[in-house]
Formats: sequence, structure tokens, C-alpha cells
Amino acid sequence: MMDFLLHIEQSGFCSWVRESDSLFAYSGVLLVHTIGMGVVVGIAACIDLRILGFAPALRLAGMEKFSPVLWVGFWMNAFTGVILTAIHATSKLANPDFYIKLIFIGLAIVTLQMIKTNVFRAPLVDKAPPSSKAKLLAVLSLIFWTGAITSGRLLAYVGPGSAGN
Amino acid sequence: MNAAHIHLLLNHFPTIGFAVGLGLFVVGLFGRSDELKKASLVIFFLTAAMTIATYVSGSDAHEALKDTPGVSAAMISAHEGAALVAFIFMQVTGFFSWIALWLLRRVSRLYNWNLAVVLVLSVVTFVLMARASTIGGEIRHPEIQSSAEAAASGADPAPTIASSWRLYVQSNSYVWPTCETVHFIGLSMLFAVVMTVDLRMLGIGKNFLSFAALYQLLPLGMLGFALNLITGIMFFVATPQQYVGGLFFLKMILVVAGAFNVLYFMLLDEPWTVGERDDAPITAKFVAASAIVIWVGVLFCGHMLPFLGNSF
Repeated sequence: MMDFLLHIEQSGFCSWVRESDSLFAYSGVLLVHTIGMGVVVGIAACIDLRILGFAPALRLAGMEKFSPVLWVGFWMNAFTGVILTAIHATSKLANPDFYIKLIFIGLAIVTLQMIKTNVFRAPLVDKAPPSSKAKLLAVLSLIFWTGAITSGRLLAYVGPGSAGN
Repeated sequence: MNAAHIHLLLNHFPTIGFAVGLGLFVVGLFGRSDELKKASLVIFFLTAAMTIATYVSGSDAHEALKDTPGVSAAMISAHEGAALVAFIFMQVTGFFSWIALWLLRRVSRLYNWNLAVVLVLSVVTFVLMARASTIGGEIRHPEIQSSAEAAASGADPAPTIASSWRLYVQSNSYVWPTCETVHFIGLSMLFAVVMTVDLRMLGIGKNFLSFAALYQLLPLGMLGFALNLITGIMFFVATPQQYVGGLFFLKMILVVAGAFNVLYFMLLDEPWTVGERDDAPITAKFVAASAIVIWVGVLFCGHMLPFLGNSF
């Protein structure tokens, strides 16, 4: 397994991304990953806060129209995330924090889908206040995204492959 | 023109801007002129934004001056400490001024309380800023130093709030990663507003969202910005030598541009004509598109500091 990861990590493409000074290499891939994070978490947080009663005039039916933008951000990050993992495959995959981040993202996406069925698909969307189940989902979503950002940011500071090690 | 020149160009805005704003504010309060009050709130907010650029240009000026004969390290350190205290108060004043401007569009009893807070903060800020400016002026003007100050200028730098924070960050390894994490959370909050408000102006979800509804979201973006200003200045004060040069300064210029940009949505009546199903006017679309460019630009400059700049 380790040989396989090492093989990926030392492939021509991965070495180029890791070591080139080009703006399309490491710095650019990480930039896209950060912008994507802002888009995904930003839109998700708006939906969550609206469900919790912030900005009450904002119609949830309108917020749903931002879902495609959120998913563009998500796939941007899935794509750049795979590259960022591949170029440091041996160290990132040995870092427990990496799996914590993936779990948070997985939970956040499941929660997002549940918000879709329970809030956007509810027959009384924008006519009745969100249910307490919807509010619970919104709180969970905020917690999971905050967890994803925190564990993602800390990948640079803790465990194998971080600045300290 | 060099870095020290930029600091000299910018360093009159904070004190003079606040003197003008405070004068108008007091006249507006006594004369019960809502227009004057509003004008002074705008001046406080924009002066606070420009002061961000002023404050960070001080590090460049320090780099440019540090080996100059006759320039006292103790004086520069004292100026840095005084400027940081004044800067903090000014940003808090700018924040509350923005909140007051935001409340103007809403029926709220909070507005008058907020004005009282702004009045107290602006007086304190003006005094602190005048103090910081005076110490800053003395760095290159020995003729305005008192004899006690002249004697102190040869001594070792005394500890200040800035130097104490630097020491704290150096000896506590948790601080930097924590601030980085909060910086990214603030970024997401700011992007939440940039993405929804500005993309709606450009047409996404327009059948369901009026501008009046989107306006309620703006404080979320301001709160995100505030988190990032707090954590950003924590980075800056801890390691000012990292944040010299054009890329970081461009980031600060873009932040100032972002402050002007948001005022379009706060002060002008034009965006308020945008109801559900309405296409936004062309000016609103232009301002919305430029907001996206500005804030992605801020992110770009910050992100590229380790790669294109001289940080880390």
C-alpha cells in the first residue's frame, strides 16, 4: 500500500504540482480549494442561518436556487482535494486529522441532503416557520462545516506532513 | 516614492478624517440633523477602512527607516504601540458606525443607543489617534520633542501592547493555527454574503429574492470581516516584517475598495427598487460583479503571500 502511495506521490504530475513555481501548480490548486470552501460553506451557512431565523425576509425558495453554485464549489474542491491529497499521499493519508476532515465533510453533505428533503421539499416552505427538525439540521450543518474548516486548516499544523513534522 | 512615503501620504487620514467626522457628528447631534449624523457615520466608517492601509504601511516605513542614523528604535516602538491602541479603537468605532448605517434602513430603537456608543468611541479614538500621530511625528522631527522624550529616544524600546503580543505569539504555538482557523471561518461568513447578495444582483434566484430581504444578511458579512480583521491584525502585529511589499499592500487597498463598494448597497436607494422578479439595474450589477472581484482578489493576495510575497 505504502509503495502504491509513494508511486502516486512521485509520479511526474504530482511532482510537478508539488515543486513547480507555476501559479497553476500547488499555489493555484490550493487557491481554488480555498475559494471553493468559501463558496460551499458560505452558501450552506446562509441557508442554515436563515432556517434558524436570521434574515427572516429571505425566502428559502430563493436560497435553494443557490444550490447549483454550492455544488460547483463542492466539485471544484473534490477535484482539487484529490490532487492535494495525491501529492502528499504518504503523509496526508497517515494523518488522523485528514480522516476527521473527511468525516465532517461527509456528515455535512448528508445533512445538506436532509435539509433539501425536509426544508426545500416541504409543502409549506416559506409559508410556515421551519420545523424544529429543520432547525436541528441547520445547527448540525453549521457544526459540521466549522469542524471541516477547522480540521482542514489544522492539516497544515498537526500530524505527519505538517509544518511541525 | 518608497514605502516610507506611502505611510506619510496615508497617515494624515486617520486623525484629520476623525476630526472632520467628529465635528460633523457633534453638530449633527445638537442640531438634530439626520443628514449630518449619517454623513459623519460614513466618514467614520471610511476613515476606519483607510486606516487599515495606513497602519500596515507603518511596517514598510519601519523597514525603510530602521538603519537611518538619528532614527530611534525606541521612538518607533512607542509609536507602534500607541498606533495599535488607536487603531483598535478606530476599528471598533468604524464597526459601530457601520451598524448604525445599517440600522438606518430599519425601524429600530437600537439606532439611538448605537449613536451614543459611536460618540463615546469616536472621542476616545480621536484622542488616541492624535497621541499616536504626535509620537509618530517625533520620529523624524526632534524639534517637537520634549527633553524627557529626547532622553528616552536613546534608550532601549519599552514594552508596548504590540511587543508584548509578539512575545506571546512566539512562546505559544497554539495561537497561530487558532487564528488561521478563525480567519478561514470569517472568510466563509464574508463569502456567504458576497455569494448570495451579489449573485442575486446578477440574476441567481431573482424570482424569489428582493434586495430588502438580502439586506438583512449584510451584518453576517460584516461580522465575518470583523473576525478576519481581528485575526489578520494579530498575524500582522506578531510578525510585521512578513507583511511588507506590494502584494500585501494590494490586499489592503482591495479591502478599502470593498468598504466603498458595500456603501453602494447601504446609502443609495437604487438597489432598494429591486423587488422579487426584478432585474437589477446595470449599476447594481456592476457593483455586485466588482464586489466578487474585490473579495476574491483579497483572498488571492492573502493566499499568495507565501508563494509570491515574502511571508512564512
